[in-house]
Amino acid sequence: MSDQWMNRLSEYLDGELTDGERIALEAHLPGCAECSRVLDDLRQVVARARMLENEAPDHDLWPGIAQRIGATVGETRTVDLGSRRAAPRWSFSLPQLAAAGIALVTLSGGAVWLLRSPEQQNLAPPSAIGPSASPRAINATVNPRGNATQSYAAAVADLERVLASGRGQLDTTTIRVIEQNLAAIDRAIAQAQRALDADPANLYLNTHLAETMRRKLDLLRQAAALVPVT
Amino acid sequence: MLLALVTGALALVATQQTDTSVAVSRGQRLEVNAFGGGITVSAWNRNAVRVEANTSGPDRVEISSTATTVSVRTQGRHGPPSEIELKISAPPWMALSLAGVHTNVKVQGCQAPVSVETVEGEVEVGGGNGLVSLRSVQGSVSLQGAKGRISVNSVNEDVEVTKSTGDIMAETVNGEITLDLVDATTVDASTVNGDISYNGPVRNGGRYSFTTHNGDITLTVADGTNASVAVSTFNGEFESEFPVPLSGMRKGKGFNFTLGTGSAQVTLESFQGTIQLIRPGSERDRERERERHHRDEDH
Repeated sequence: MSDQWMNRLSEYLDGELTDGERIALEAHLPGCAECSRVLDDLRQVVARARMLENEAPDHDLWPGIAQRIGATVGETRTVDLGSRRAAPRWSFSLPQLAAAGIALVTLSGGAVWLLRSPEQQNLAPPSAIGPSASPRAINATVNPRGNATQSYAAAVADLERVLASGRGQLDTTTIRVIEQNLAAIDRAIAQAQRALDADPANLYLNTHLAETMRRKLDLLRQAAALVPVT
Repeated sequence: MLLALVTGALALVATQQTDTSVAVSRGQRLEVNAFGGGITVSAWNRNAVRVEANTSGPDRVEISSTATTVSVRTQGRHGPPSEIELKISAPPWMALSLAGVHTNVKVQGCQAPVSVETVEGEVEVGGGNGLVSLRSVQGSVSLQGAKGRISVNSVNEDVEVTKSTGDIMAETVNGEITLDLVDATTVDASTVNGDISYNGPVRNGGRYSFTTHNGDITLTVADGTNASVAVSTFNGEFESEFPVPLSGMRKGKGFNFTLGTGSAQVTLESFQGTIQLIRPGSERDRERERERHHRDEDH
């Protein structure tokens, strides 16, 4: 992240900053194109989320659940679905989450990384064979409004190409560790995907899959940053 | 005799000792970049930075100072230097930015912002105030006694935060996350293959998120906690040492329950692990206490 405010834009949108922080951030925004751009993207995501409708289930599932778990129907007060609807955690479909994740990863992370000055590069995490001489250009930009799945695949492929091209310049142990961890994430993605195939409406599985996919992008980006520029 | 003289002369050329002190004033920060070996920073009560190291051959330690920064950097004449152990003393008020590749990093006694990034090395920090950001790809990350906005990140090892206060973000892929004796109002802990353990108060109005794919989650919940708890799992279990409004769940589903006023938001997600709520002082909690003592002894 480029500055202290990038991580707090979501809190700003949610109205969770203190008055002092809010004033400071608003003073910061006009001079920071990057924060302004990410804030606009976040606003779009929220706006799109608000357009989603809450669909009521075809029938009440609770009596069956209560019977299975040994609870009485009178305990339904403890499952406060009404309050969840009134104050929902933002819940997006998989494509929306993937698009939002990719947008944030590429805009807030990739752009910062690409635009780092050489001085900042020297202070940044070093590569496995020495500090990078200059920023590396990575064509991992995606259009969050486009097909999210294709965009995600394209972003992954771009970062994998960067990693593959720099493979010979990285420490073999580092490469092995990164590949092992990418494989672990891929297994988690596959498991979540299979679970989701069996239960497409499961909100947790949708969220979990999207989050795990984001995690893969994040690790790829972190690994690609280790590749020195030749 | 001649052989001994030649050998001695070669040894003098081969090994150089660095022991340099630089006067510093408040506002200056310390930046260290070491390719391999170790960086150990200890706080002392002098407004000066002292750098001690042994280098060999053409390797050297460069130390420079500007109005804002004291910079320490290891250099090789042709390519990266060999492993160099840097021992640095700095005043506790000095912000630290430490980076390495094959480098272990240890900090003790800092009372200022700390940033550590390494690829293949352990990170162990005692102290830190303000923004504390610790990252390693292949090594474990351990933080104790910090205060502020805390971000700890590994890829292939465990992450541990103890006796710290503030907002905590902890992340790894293949490792456990242990948050022990922490006091935080915002916690975001996430791993893919590993357990997550949280031992600390759940503050009113706080937000606590714990997410793992292959691992268990253990959360200590004190009596009188006010929290809205959302539990989600696909193929895991939920256990609680105390009664909660719902005591069971269906595979692939989640449920909510409220403790007290429900002021804090707690999210517990494990794809295929056990989510466990325990009480302070319970057998499970005492077991954790014993593990903590073992860890302290190891340190």
